[in-house]
Amino acid sequence: MITVREVSKSFSNQRVLNKTSLTCQKGEILGLLGPNGAGKTTLIRVLNGVILPDSGEISINGYDPVIDGHEIRKVTGIVTESAGLYHQMNAVENLAFFADIYGVKNKSRIYDLLRQFGLDDHKSKPIGTYSTGMKKRLALAKALLHEPSILYLDEPTNGLDPDGISMVLSYLKEYNYQNGTTVLICSHVLHQLENVCSSFAFLDNGHIIDSGSLLQLQEKYSTHIKLNIHTNMKIENGNVSGFPCEQLENNHIRVTVNHKDEISPLLKNILLEHWIHSVAIEEQDLESIYFMIRSRNNE
Amino acid sequence: MNRTVLKAITKKDIKDIFRSKTLLLTIILIPVIFSLIIPAGVVSTILYFDFELDTGTQKMLDKFLLKVGNEEILAFSLKEQLVYLFVNYMMVSLFLLIPVITASTIAANSLVGEKERKTLESLLFAPITVKELFISKILSSFIPAFSVSLISFILSGIIINGLSYSTFKELIFPSMNWIVLVLLLLPMVLILTILLNVLISSRVKTYQEATNLGGIIVLPVLGILIGQVSGLFFLGLGLMVILSTIILIINLVLLRQIAKYNDRHLLFEKQI
Repeated sequence: MITVREVSKSFSNQRVLNKTSLTCQKGEILGLLGPNGAGKTTLIRVLNGVILPDSGEISINGYDPVIDGHEIRKVTGIVTESAGLYHQMNAVENLAFFADIYGVKNKSRIYDLLRQFGLDDHKSKPIGTYSTGMKKRLALAKALLHEPSILYLDEPTNGLDPDGISMVLSYLKEYNYQNGTTVLICSHVLHQLENVCSSFAFLDNGHIIDSGSLLQLQEKYSTHIKLNIHTNMKIENGNVSGFPCEQLENNHIRVTVNHKDEISPLLKNILLEHWIHSVAIEEQDLESIYFMIRSRNNE
Repeated sequence: MNRTVLKAITKKDIKDIFRSKTLLLTIILIPVIFSLIIPAGVVSTILYFDFELDTGTQKMLDKFLLKVGNEEILAFSLKEQLVYLFVNYMMVSLFLLIPVITASTIAANSLVGEKERKTLESLLFAPITVKELFISKILSSFIPAFSVSLISFILSGIIINGLSYSTFKELIFPSMNWIVLVLLLLPMVLILTILLNVLISSRVKTYQEATNLGGIIVLPVLGILIGQVSGLFFLGLGLMVILSTIILIINLVLLRQIAKYNDRHLLFEKQI
Protein backbone atom coordinates (compact mmCIF):
# COMPACT_ATOMS: atom_id res chain seq x y z
CA MET A 1 0.00 0.00 0.00
CA ILE A 2 1.26 3.46 -0.90
CA THR A 3 0.31 6.44 1.23
CA VAL A 4 1.48 9.96 0.42
CA ARG A 5 0.59 12.73 2.84
CA GLU A 6 1.13 16.42 2.00
CA VAL A 7 4.44 15.90 0.18
CA SER A 8 6.13 18.98 -1.25
CA LYS A 9 9.26 19.30 -3.35
CA SER A 10 10.91 22.30 -4.99
CA PHE A 11 13.84 22.57 -7.39
CA SER A 12 15.60 25.94 -7.06
CA ASN A 13 12.61 28.27 -6.71
CA GLN A 14 10.17 26.12 -8.62
CA ARG A 15 7.65 24.12 -6.60
CA VAL A 16 7.06 20.81 -8.39
CA LEU A 17 5.02 18.99 -5.73
CA ASN A 18 2.68 21.04 -3.60
CA LYS A 19 1.22 19.22 -0.58
CA THR A 20 0.49 16.15 -2.71
CA SER A 21 -1.58 13.45 -1.03
CA LEU A 22 -2.72 10.13 -2.45
CA THR A 23 -3.40 6.55 -1.49
CA CYS A 24 -2.91 3.45 -3.61
CA GLN A 25 -4.23 0.19 -2.18
CA LYS A 26 -2.25 -3.06 -2.41
CA GLY A 27 -2.93 -4.78 -5.74
CA GLU A 28 -4.53 -1.69 -7.25
CA ILE A 29 -3.66 -0.17 -10.66
CA LEU A 30 -3.68 3.57 -10.09
CA GLY A 31 -3.54 5.97 -13.03
CA LEU A 32 -1.68 9.14 -12.15
CA LEU A 33 -2.94 11.63 -14.68
CA GLY A 34 -1.98 15.17 -15.44
CA PRO A 35 -0.55 17.48 -18.08
CA ASN A 36 3.18 17.65 -18.85
CA GLY A 37 5.03 19.27 -15.96
CA ALA A 38 2.30 18.43 -13.43
CA GLY A 39 4.83 16.62 -11.20
CA LYS A 40 4.09 12.98 -12.08
CA THR A 41 7.71 11.97 -12.73
CA THR A 42 8.96 13.80 -9.65
CA LEU A 43 6.36 12.03 -7.50
CA ILE A 44 7.56 8.62 -8.78
CA ARG A 45 11.18 9.58 -8.07
CA VAL A 46 10.26 10.68 -4.55
CA LEU A 47 8.34 7.42 -3.99
CA ASN A 48 11.45 5.46 -5.03
CA GLY A 49 13.63 7.39 -2.62
CA VAL A 50 16.00 8.85 -5.22
CA ILE A 51 14.79 12.40 -4.57
CA LEU A 52 14.19 13.71 -1.07
CA PRO A 53 10.90 15.51 -0.43
CA ASP A 54 11.09 18.90 1.30
CA SER A 55 8.19 17.99 3.57
CA GLY A 56 5.40 15.47 4.03
CA GLU A 57 5.14 11.78 4.84
CA ILE A 58 5.32 8.72 2.62
CA SER A 59 4.74 5.08 3.48
CA ILE A 60 5.29 2.26 0.97
CA ASN A 61 4.43 -1.17 2.37
CA GLY A 62 5.28 0.37 5.74
CA TYR A 63 8.66 1.73 4.59
CA ASP A 64 9.65 5.40 4.38
CA PRO A 65 11.60 6.05 1.14
CA VAL A 66 13.70 8.72 2.88
CA ILE A 67 15.07 6.21 5.39
CA ASP A 68 14.40 2.78 3.85
CA GLY A 69 14.90 3.57 0.16
CA HIS A 70 17.03 0.46 -0.32
CA GLU A 71 14.27 -1.84 0.96
CA ILE A 72 11.73 -0.13 -1.31
CA ARG A 73 13.98 -0.36 -4.37
CA LYS A 74 14.30 -4.14 -3.81
CA VAL A 75 10.56 -4.65 -4.30
CA THR A 76 9.84 -2.01 -6.93
CA GLY A 77 10.23 -2.09 -10.68
CA ILE A 78 10.31 1.07 -12.71
CA VAL A 79 9.94 2.12 -16.32
CA THR A 80 11.16 5.63 -16.94
CA GLU A 81 10.43 7.83 -19.92
CA SER A 82 13.94 7.33 -21.31
CA ALA A 83 13.83 3.50 -20.86
CA GLY A 84 17.31 3.58 -19.20
CA LEU A 85 18.83 0.79 -21.27
CA TYR A 86 22.39 0.34 -22.55
CA HIS A 87 22.24 1.02 -26.28
CA GLN A 88 25.56 -0.64 -27.05
CA MET A 89 24.40 -3.92 -25.49
CA ASN A 90 21.81 -6.32 -26.88
CA ALA A 91 18.56 -7.29 -25.16
CA VAL A 92 19.94 -10.40 -23.46
CA GLU A 93 23.04 -8.52 -22.20
CA ASN A 94 20.86 -5.70 -20.86
CA LEU A 95 18.52 -8.05 -19.01
CA ALA A 96 21.40 -10.22 -17.76
CA PHE A 97 23.11 -7.09 -16.38
CA PHE A 98 19.99 -5.88 -14.59
CA ALA A 99 19.28 -9.44 -13.37
CA ASP A 100 22.65 -9.31 -11.56
CA ILE A 101 21.90 -5.84 -10.21
CA TYR A 102 18.48 -6.95 -8.88
CA GLY A 103 19.82 -10.29 -7.60
CA VAL A 104 17.74 -12.45 -9.98
CA LYS A 105 19.16 -15.97 -9.83
CA ASN A 106 16.79 -17.62 -12.32
CA LYS A 107 18.25 -16.55 -15.65
CA SER A 108 15.54 -18.33 -17.67
CA ARG A 109 13.26 -15.44 -16.68
CA ILE A 110 15.24 -13.26 -19.13
CA TYR A 111 14.19 -15.45 -22.06
CA ASP A 112 10.60 -15.84 -20.78
CA LEU A 113 10.17 -12.07 -20.66
CA LEU A 114 11.76 -11.56 -24.08
CA ARG A 115 9.27 -14.06 -25.48
CA GLN A 116 6.30 -12.52 -23.67
CA PHE A 117 7.11 -9.05 -25.00
CA GLY A 118 7.68 -10.24 -28.58
CA LEU A 119 11.42 -9.51 -28.55
CA ASP A 120 12.70 -13.05 -28.95
CA ASP A 121 13.67 -12.53 -32.60
CA HIS A 122 15.57 -9.34 -31.76
CA LYS A 123 17.37 -10.50 -28.61
CA SER A 124 20.85 -10.36 -30.18
CA LYS A 125 20.53 -6.91 -31.76
CA PRO A 126 22.05 -3.85 -30.02
CA ILE A 127 19.36 -1.71 -28.35
CA GLY A 128 20.58 1.28 -30.37
CA THR A 129 18.95 -0.34 -33.42
CA TYR A 130 15.61 -0.87 -31.65
CA SER A 131 12.50 1.23 -32.37
CA THR A 132 11.08 3.33 -29.51
CA GLY A 133 8.34 0.78 -29.01
CA MET A 134 10.78 -2.13 -28.74
CA LYS A 135 12.85 -0.17 -26.20
CA LYS A 136 9.71 0.46 -24.14
CA ARG A 137 8.81 -3.22 -24.16
CA LEU A 138 12.33 -4.19 -23.14
CA ALA A 139 12.27 -1.53 -20.38
CA LEU A 140 9.09 -3.14 -19.07
CA ALA A 141 10.72 -6.58 -19.20
CA LYS A 142 13.65 -5.09 -17.23
CA ALA A 143 11.25 -3.67 -14.63
CA LEU A 144 9.57 -7.07 -14.20
CA LEU A 145 12.77 -9.16 -13.95
CA HIS A 146 12.74 -9.43 -10.16
CA GLU A 147 8.95 -9.88 -9.95
CA PRO A 148 8.40 -6.64 -8.04
CA SER A 149 5.41 -6.14 -5.77
CA ILE A 150 5.15 -2.48 -6.83
CA LEU A 151 5.51 -1.18 -10.38
CA TYR A 152 6.04 2.47 -11.28
CA LEU A 153 5.43 3.14 -14.94
CA ASP A 154 6.17 6.59 -16.30
CA GLU A 155 4.49 6.99 -19.70
CA PRO A 156 4.90 3.26 -20.49
CA THR A 157 3.07 3.47 -23.82
CA ASN A 158 4.90 6.49 -25.27
CA GLY A 159 6.21 5.60 -28.72
CA LEU A 160 4.31 2.32 -28.96
CA ASP A 161 2.15 1.51 -31.97
CA PRO A 162 -1.48 0.40 -31.35
CA ASP A 163 -0.45 -3.28 -31.28
CA GLY A 164 2.33 -2.49 -28.80
CA ILE A 165 -0.02 -0.45 -26.58
CA SER A 166 -2.55 -3.26 -26.56
CA MET A 167 0.14 -5.86 -25.80
CA VAL A 168 1.70 -3.87 -22.95
CA LEU A 169 -1.58 -2.84 -21.32
CA SER A 170 -3.17 -6.28 -21.47
CA TYR A 171 0.04 -7.83 -20.11
CA LEU A 172 0.01 -5.37 -17.23
CA LYS A 173 -3.60 -6.09 -16.41
CA GLU A 174 -2.97 -9.83 -16.51
CA TYR A 175 0.22 -9.51 -14.46
CA ASN A 176 -1.60 -7.43 -11.86
CA TYR A 177 -4.45 -9.95 -11.75
CA GLN A 178 -2.12 -12.95 -11.32
CA ASN A 179 0.42 -11.46 -8.92
CA GLY A 180 -1.54 -8.78 -7.07
CA THR A 181 1.16 -6.25 -7.99
CA THR A 182 0.44 -2.66 -7.10
CA VAL A 183 0.85 -0.56 -10.25
CA LEU A 184 1.16 3.19 -10.53
CA ILE A 185 0.94 4.40 -14.14
CA CYS A 186 1.67 7.97 -15.16
CA SER A 187 0.24 9.05 -18.44
CA HIS A 188 -1.40 11.84 -20.31
CA VAL A 189 -2.96 9.53 -22.93
CA LEU A 190 -6.14 9.01 -21.00
CA HIS A 191 -8.24 6.71 -23.16
CA GLN A 192 -5.53 4.02 -22.95
CA LEU A 193 -5.87 3.79 -19.19
CA GLU A 194 -9.65 3.79 -18.92
CA ASN A 195 -9.97 0.00 -19.00
CA VAL A 196 -6.71 -0.76 -17.20
CA CYS A 197 -6.78 1.30 -14.00
CA SER A 198 -9.04 0.60 -11.07
CA SER A 199 -8.72 4.18 -9.86
CA PHE A 200 -7.31 7.50 -10.94
CA ALA A 201 -5.59 10.47 -9.33
CA PHE A 202 -5.44 13.79 -11.14
CA LEU A 203 -2.30 15.83 -10.62
CA ASP A 204 -2.16 19.49 -11.58
CA ASN A 205 0.58 21.94 -10.61
CA GLY A 206 2.01 19.42 -8.15
CA HIS A 207 -1.29 18.93 -6.33
CA ILE A 208 -3.80 16.06 -6.46
CA ILE A 209 -7.02 17.81 -7.44
CA ASP A 210 -9.23 14.72 -7.26
CA SER A 211 -9.11 10.95 -7.20
CA GLY A 212 -11.36 7.90 -7.28
CA SER A 213 -12.69 5.15 -9.54
CA LEU A 214 -14.17 6.10 -12.91
CA LEU A 215 -17.67 5.40 -11.60
CA GLN A 216 -17.15 7.58 -8.53
CA LEU A 217 -15.78 10.38 -10.68
CA GLN A 218 -18.62 10.09 -13.20
CA GLU A 219 -21.18 10.39 -10.45
CA LYS A 220 -19.39 13.34 -8.94
CA TYR A 221 -18.82 15.35 -12.09
CA SER A 222 -21.67 14.45 -14.46
CA THR A 223 -24.73 16.55 -13.70
CA HIS A 224 -26.56 15.03 -16.67
CA ILE A 225 -26.11 12.18 -19.12
CA LYS A 226 -26.09 12.65 -22.89
CA LEU A 227 -27.32 9.65 -24.90
CA ASN A 228 -26.50 9.28 -28.56
CA ILE A 229 -29.20 7.00 -29.98
CA HIS A 230 -29.27 5.51 -33.46
CA THR A 231 -33.00 5.36 -34.23
CA ASN A 232 -35.56 6.17 -36.94
CA MET A 233 -37.44 8.44 -34.53
CA LYS A 234 -37.74 12.04 -35.78
CA ILE A 235 -37.62 14.90 -33.27
CA GLU A 236 -40.27 17.55 -33.72
CA ASN A 237 -40.70 19.64 -30.58
CA GLY A 238 -37.20 19.32 -29.03
CA ASN A 239 -38.06 16.65 -26.47
CA VAL A 240 -38.67 12.93 -26.08
CA SER A 241 -40.69 11.65 -23.13
CA GLY A 242 -40.08 15.01 -21.46
CA PHE A 243 -36.31 14.98 -21.88
CA PRO A 244 -34.49 17.61 -23.99
CA CYS A 245 -33.51 16.19 -27.35
CA GLU A 246 -31.85 17.22 -30.63
CA GLN A 247 -31.91 15.66 -34.08
CA LEU A 248 -28.48 14.64 -35.43
CA GLU A 249 -27.48 13.42 -38.87
CA ASN A 250 -27.98 9.86 -40.20
CA ASN A 251 -30.82 8.75 -37.95
CA HIS A 252 -29.13 9.77 -34.72
CA ILE A 253 -30.66 11.76 -31.87
CA ARG A 254 -29.10 13.14 -28.68
CA VAL A 255 -31.23 12.98 -25.51
CA THR A 256 -30.15 14.50 -22.21
CA VAL A 257 -31.30 12.72 -19.03
CA ASN A 258 -30.53 13.56 -15.42
CA HIS A 259 -29.80 10.10 -14.07
CA LYS A 260 -28.89 6.61 -15.28
CA ASP A 261 -32.18 5.27 -13.88
CA GLU A 262 -34.04 7.30 -16.51
CA ILE A 263 -32.33 5.57 -19.45
CA SER A 264 -34.28 2.28 -19.55
CA PRO A 265 -37.81 3.82 -19.38
CA LEU A 266 -36.81 6.31 -22.09
CA LEU A 267 -35.57 3.58 -24.45
CA LYS A 268 -38.65 1.49 -23.71
CA ASN A 269 -40.85 4.42 -24.77
CA ILE A 270 -38.96 4.95 -28.02
CA LEU A 271 -39.05 1.23 -28.85
CA LEU A 272 -42.87 1.20 -28.70
CA GLU A 273 -43.02 2.78 -32.15
CA HIS A 274 -39.44 2.93 -33.49
CA TRP A 275 -36.31 0.84 -33.87
CA ILE A 276 -33.06 1.44 -31.96
CA HIS A 277 -29.78 0.09 -33.34
CA SER A 278 -27.35 1.54 -30.84
CA VAL A 279 -27.08 3.67 -27.72
CA ALA A 280 -23.89 5.39 -26.53
CA ILE A 281 -23.32 7.52 -23.47
CA GLU A 282 -21.42 10.69 -24.40
CA GLU A 283 -18.95 12.68 -22.27
CA GLN A 284 -18.64 10.01 -19.57
CA ASP A 285 -15.22 8.79 -20.65
CA LEU A 286 -12.06 9.45 -18.67
CA GLU A 287 -10.94 12.25 -20.97
CA SER A 288 -14.22 14.19 -20.53
CA ILE A 289 -14.05 13.68 -16.75
CA TYR A 290 -10.42 14.88 -16.78
CA PHE A 291 -11.34 18.14 -18.49
CA MET A 292 -14.34 18.62 -16.17
CA ILE A 293 -12.10 18.15 -13.13
CA ARG A 294 -9.48 20.55 -14.45
CA SER A 295 -11.97 23.22 -15.48
CA ARG A 296 -13.74 23.01 -12.11
CA ASN A 297 -10.38 23.22 -10.35
CA ASN A 298 -9.39 26.29 -12.35
CA GLU A 299 -12.65 28.13 -11.62
CA MET B 1 29.01 -5.07 -0.20
CA ASN B 2 27.31 -7.07 -2.96
CA ARG B 3 30.05 -8.73 -5.05
CA THR B 4 27.64 -9.71 -7.85
CA VAL B 5 26.77 -6.02 -8.32
CA LEU B 6 30.45 -4.97 -8.29
CA LYS B 7 31.30 -7.69 -10.80
CA ALA B 8 28.34 -6.88 -13.08
CA ILE B 9 29.10 -3.15 -13.31
CA THR B 10 32.88 -3.64 -13.64
CA LYS B 11 32.45 -6.30 -16.34
CA LYS B 12 29.99 -4.13 -18.26
CA ASP B 13 32.28 -1.08 -18.10
CA ILE B 14 35.39 -3.00 -19.19
CA LYS B 15 33.45 -4.52 -22.11
CA ASP B 16 32.36 -0.98 -23.02
CA ILE B 17 36.00 0.08 -23.39
CA PHE B 18 36.38 -2.50 -26.14
CA ARG B 19 33.14 -1.27 -27.74
CA SER B 20 34.23 2.40 -27.77
CA LYS B 21 36.74 3.17 -30.52
CA THR B 22 37.93 6.39 -28.82
CA LEU B 23 38.59 4.72 -25.47
CA LEU B 24 40.22 1.69 -27.06
CA LEU B 25 42.43 3.85 -29.28
CA THR B 26 43.56 5.90 -26.27
CA ILE B 27 44.48 2.89 -24.15
CA ILE B 28 46.39 1.32 -27.04
CA LEU B 29 48.02 4.42 -28.51
CA ILE B 30 49.27 6.02 -25.27
CA PRO B 31 51.21 2.92 -24.09
CA VAL B 32 52.60 2.34 -27.59
CA ILE B 33 53.92 5.93 -27.71
CA PHE B 34 55.29 6.10 -24.17
CA SER B 35 56.54 2.55 -23.69
CA LEU B 36 57.61 1.60 -27.20
CA ILE B 37 58.15 4.45 -29.67
CA ILE B 38 59.80 7.03 -27.36
CA PRO B 39 62.15 4.63 -25.48
CA ALA B 40 63.07 2.79 -28.68
CA GLY B 41 63.70 6.09 -30.46
CA VAL B 42 65.75 7.69 -27.67
CA VAL B 43 67.81 4.60 -26.72
CA SER B 44 68.61 3.69 -30.35
CA THR B 45 69.49 7.32 -31.18
CA ILE B 46 71.91 7.44 -28.24
CA LEU B 47 73.46 4.04 -28.96
CA TYR B 48 73.55 3.93 -32.74
CA PHE B 49 74.24 7.54 -33.81
CA ASP B 50 77.55 9.30 -33.28
CA PHE B 51 77.57 12.63 -31.49
CA GLU B 52 79.76 14.61 -29.10
CA LEU B 53 78.91 16.90 -26.22
CA ASP B 54 80.68 20.23 -25.70
CA THR B 55 82.60 20.68 -22.42
CA GLY B 56 79.83 22.70 -20.73
CA THR B 57 77.15 20.11 -21.47
CA GLN B 58 79.46 17.26 -20.41
CA LYS B 59 80.10 19.02 -17.07
CA MET B 60 76.38 19.46 -16.54
CA LEU B 61 75.80 15.78 -17.34
CA ASP B 62 78.50 14.74 -14.83
CA LYS B 63 76.78 16.90 -12.21
CA PHE B 64 73.44 15.19 -12.92
CA LEU B 65 75.03 11.77 -12.71
CA LEU B 66 76.77 12.54 -9.40
CA LYS B 67 73.48 13.79 -8.03
CA VAL B 68 71.59 10.64 -8.96
CA GLY B 69 74.11 7.84 -8.67
CA ASN B 70 77.55 6.90 -7.55
CA GLU B 71 80.95 7.74 -8.98
CA GLU B 72 81.12 4.43 -10.87
CA ILE B 73 78.68 5.87 -13.37
CA LEU B 74 81.22 8.55 -14.26
CA ALA B 75 83.49 5.79 -15.57
CA PHE B 76 80.76 4.79 -18.12
CA SER B 77 81.08 5.89 -21.71
CA LEU B 78 79.02 8.91 -22.75
CA LYS B 79 76.44 6.73 -24.53
CA GLU B 80 76.10 4.46 -21.49
CA GLN B 81 75.71 7.46 -19.18
CA LEU B 82 72.96 8.93 -21.33
CA VAL B 83 71.11 5.62 -21.62
CA TYR B 84 71.42 5.11 -17.84
CA LEU B 85 70.03 8.58 -17.16
CA PHE B 86 67.18 8.22 -19.65
CA VAL B 87 66.09 4.70 -18.65
CA ASN B 88 66.23 5.21 -14.89
CA TYR B 89 65.03 8.80 -14.54
CA MET B 90 63.54 10.51 -17.60
CA MET B 91 61.60 7.44 -18.64
CA VAL B 92 60.23 6.79 -15.17
CA SER B 93 58.30 10.06 -15.16
CA LEU B 94 57.41 9.65 -18.83
CA PHE B 95 56.07 6.19 -17.99
CA LEU B 96 53.79 7.67 -15.30
CA LEU B 97 51.87 9.38 -18.09
CA ILE B 98 50.58 5.96 -19.23
CA PRO B 99 48.42 5.21 -16.16
CA VAL B 100 47.50 8.88 -15.73
CA ILE B 101 46.23 9.39 -19.29
CA THR B 102 44.56 5.98 -19.68
CA ALA B 103 42.91 6.10 -16.23
CA SER B 104 41.78 9.72 -16.78
CA THR B 105 40.15 8.81 -20.08
CA ILE B 106 38.32 5.80 -18.62
CA ALA B 107 37.41 7.28 -15.22
CA ALA B 108 36.20 10.60 -16.66
CA ASN B 109 33.63 8.60 -18.62
CA SER B 110 32.61 6.47 -15.62
CA LEU B 111 29.59 8.28 -14.21
CA VAL B 112 29.10 11.04 -16.74
CA GLY B 113 28.92 8.37 -19.47
CA GLU B 114 25.98 6.82 -17.61
CA LYS B 115 24.40 10.27 -17.28
CA GLU B 116 24.78 11.04 -20.98
CA ARG B 117 23.22 7.69 -21.93
CA LYS B 118 20.47 8.22 -19.33
CA THR B 119 21.33 4.93 -17.63
CA LEU B 120 22.51 6.41 -14.33
CA GLU B 121 18.89 6.76 -13.24
CA SER B 122 18.38 3.03 -13.92
CA LEU B 123 21.28 2.29 -11.56
CA LEU B 124 20.07 4.75 -8.91
CA PHE B 125 16.55 3.30 -9.05
CA ALA B 126 18.03 -0.16 -8.43
CA PRO B 127 18.79 -1.74 -5.04
CA ILE B 128 22.51 -0.97 -5.14
CA THR B 129 24.27 1.30 -2.69
CA VAL B 130 26.11 4.43 -3.85
CA LYS B 131 29.24 2.92 -2.27
CA GLU B 132 28.89 -0.16 -4.51
CA LEU B 133 28.40 2.11 -7.51
CA PHE B 134 31.55 4.14 -6.77
CA ILE B 135 33.72 1.11 -5.98
CA SER B 136 32.59 -0.55 -9.22
CA LYS B 137 33.47 2.57 -11.16
CA ILE B 138 36.89 2.79 -9.46
CA LEU B 139 37.57 -0.89 -10.25
CA SER B 140 36.37 -0.44 -13.85
CA SER B 141 39.09 2.18 -14.32
CA PHE B 142 41.80 0.62 -12.16
CA ILE B 143 41.79 -2.88 -13.72
CA PRO B 144 42.30 -1.81 -17.38
CA ALA B 145 44.67 1.09 -16.57
CA PHE B 146 46.86 -1.04 -14.29
CA SER B 147 46.85 -3.93 -16.79
CA VAL B 148 47.89 -1.56 -19.58
CA SER B 149 50.66 -0.16 -17.34
CA LEU B 150 51.98 -3.65 -16.55
CA ILE B 151 51.95 -4.65 -20.23
CA SER B 152 53.74 -1.38 -21.06
CA PHE B 153 56.32 -2.11 -18.35
CA ILE B 154 57.06 -5.54 -19.87
CA LEU B 155 57.20 -4.13 -23.41
CA SER B 156 59.54 -1.32 -22.29
CA GLY B 157 61.78 -3.91 -20.65
CA ILE B 158 61.99 -5.97 -23.82
CA ILE B 159 62.73 -2.91 -25.97
CA ILE B 160 65.32 -1.37 -23.63
CA ASN B 161 67.15 -4.61 -22.86
CA GLY B 162 66.97 -5.67 -26.49
CA LEU B 163 68.51 -2.41 -27.73
CA SER B 164 71.12 -1.98 -24.99
CA TYR B 165 72.31 -5.54 -24.32
CA SER B 166 75.09 -5.38 -26.91
CA THR B 167 76.44 -2.21 -25.23
CA PHE B 168 76.01 -3.06 -21.53
CA LYS B 169 76.42 -6.87 -21.80
CA GLU B 170 73.79 -7.19 -19.06
CA LEU B 171 70.10 -6.51 -18.53
CA ILE B 172 69.77 -2.89 -17.38
CA PHE B 173 65.98 -3.03 -16.95
CA PRO B 174 64.25 -3.13 -14.49
CA SER B 175 66.37 -1.28 -11.96
CA MET B 176 65.21 -0.85 -8.34
CA ASN B 177 63.77 2.55 -9.39
CA TRP B 178 61.43 0.80 -11.82
CA ILE B 179 60.35 -1.88 -9.34
CA VAL B 180 59.41 0.74 -6.74
CA LEU B 181 57.68 2.76 -9.43
CA VAL B 182 55.52 -0.12 -10.65
CA LEU B 183 54.71 -1.57 -7.24
CA LEU B 184 54.34 1.62 -5.20
CA LEU B 185 54.22 5.01 -6.91
CA LEU B 186 52.31 3.94 -10.03
CA PRO B 187 49.36 2.33 -8.16
CA MET B 188 49.15 5.39 -5.87
CA VAL B 189 49.19 7.84 -8.81
CA LEU B 190 46.69 5.62 -10.61
CA ILE B 191 44.27 5.58 -7.68
CA LEU B 192 44.61 9.36 -7.24
CA THR B 193 43.87 9.92 -10.92
CA ILE B 194 40.84 7.62 -10.79
CA LEU B 195 39.42 9.08 -7.57
CA LEU B 196 39.68 12.65 -8.86
CA ASN B 197 38.18 11.76 -12.23
CA VAL B 198 35.33 9.71 -10.75
CA LEU B 199 34.59 12.60 -8.38
CA ILE B 200 34.58 15.08 -11.28
CA SER B 201 32.52 12.64 -13.36
CA SER B 202 29.88 12.47 -10.64
CA ARG B 203 29.46 16.24 -10.56
CA VAL B 204 29.51 17.36 -14.21
CA LYS B 205 26.92 16.72 -16.91
CA THR B 206 29.02 16.04 -20.02
CA TYR B 207 32.06 13.91 -20.83
CA GLN B 208 33.73 16.97 -22.34
CA GLU B 209 33.48 18.86 -19.03
CA ALA B 210 34.87 15.81 -17.22
CA THR B 211 37.89 15.46 -19.54
CA ASN B 212 38.61 19.21 -19.45
CA LEU B 213 38.72 19.22 -15.65
CA GLY B 214 40.36 15.79 -15.38
CA GLY B 215 43.15 16.85 -17.74
CA ILE B 216 44.56 19.03 -14.96
CA ILE B 217 45.80 15.87 -13.21
CA VAL B 218 48.41 15.37 -15.94
CA LEU B 219 50.11 18.65 -14.92
CA PRO B 220 51.91 17.40 -11.74
CA VAL B 221 53.30 14.43 -13.73
CA LEU B 222 54.53 16.82 -16.41
CA GLY B 223 56.07 18.86 -13.56
CA ILE B 224 58.04 15.78 -12.42
CA LEU B 225 59.18 15.20 -16.01
CA ILE B 226 60.35 18.82 -16.40
CA GLY B 227 62.09 18.52 -13.01
CA GLN B 228 64.03 15.52 -14.31
CA VAL B 229 65.00 17.09 -17.61
CA SER B 230 66.07 20.37 -16.02
CA GLY B 231 67.97 18.62 -13.26
CA LEU B 232 65.95 20.42 -10.61
CA PHE B 233 65.31 17.13 -8.79
CA PHE B 234 65.52 13.43 -9.59
CA LEU B 235 62.84 10.87 -8.95
CA GLY B 236 65.02 8.47 -7.02
CA LEU B 237 64.01 5.75 -4.57
CA GLY B 238 63.70 8.05 -1.56
CA LEU B 239 61.61 10.65 -3.36
CA MET B 240 59.36 7.94 -4.82
CA VAL B 241 58.64 6.50 -1.36
CA ILE B 242 57.94 9.99 0.05
CA LEU B 243 55.69 10.87 -2.91
CA SER B 244 53.84 7.55 -2.63
CA THR B 245 53.18 8.15 1.08
CA ILE B 246 51.88 11.68 0.43
CA ILE B 247 49.63 10.45 -2.40
CA LEU B 248 48.38 7.58 -0.21
CA ILE B 249 47.26 10.12 2.41
CA ILE B 250 45.59 12.28 -0.28
CA ASN B 251 43.83 9.15 -1.63
CA LEU B 252 42.49 8.24 1.81
CA VAL B 253 41.19 11.79 2.33
CA LEU B 254 39.60 11.76 -1.14
CA LEU B 255 37.93 8.39 -0.49
CA ARG B 256 36.42 9.81 2.70
CA GLN B 257 35.21 12.89 0.88
CA ILE B 258 33.65 10.82 -1.90
CA ALA B 259 31.82 8.68 0.65
CA LYS B 260 30.69 11.74 2.59
CA TYR B 261 29.49 14.03 -0.18
CA ASN B 262 27.97 11.65 -2.69
CA ASP B 263 24.60 10.41 -1.61
CA ARG B 264 21.98 9.04 -3.97
CA HIS B 265 19.83 12.18 -3.90
CA LEU B 266 22.71 14.46 -4.80
CA LEU B 267 23.84 12.16 -7.62
CA PHE B 268 20.31 11.90 -8.95
CA GLU B 269 19.61 15.62 -8.86
CA LYS B 270 22.98 16.33 -10.56
CA GLN B 271 21.93 14.28 -13.58
CA ILE B 272 18.47 15.78 -14.12
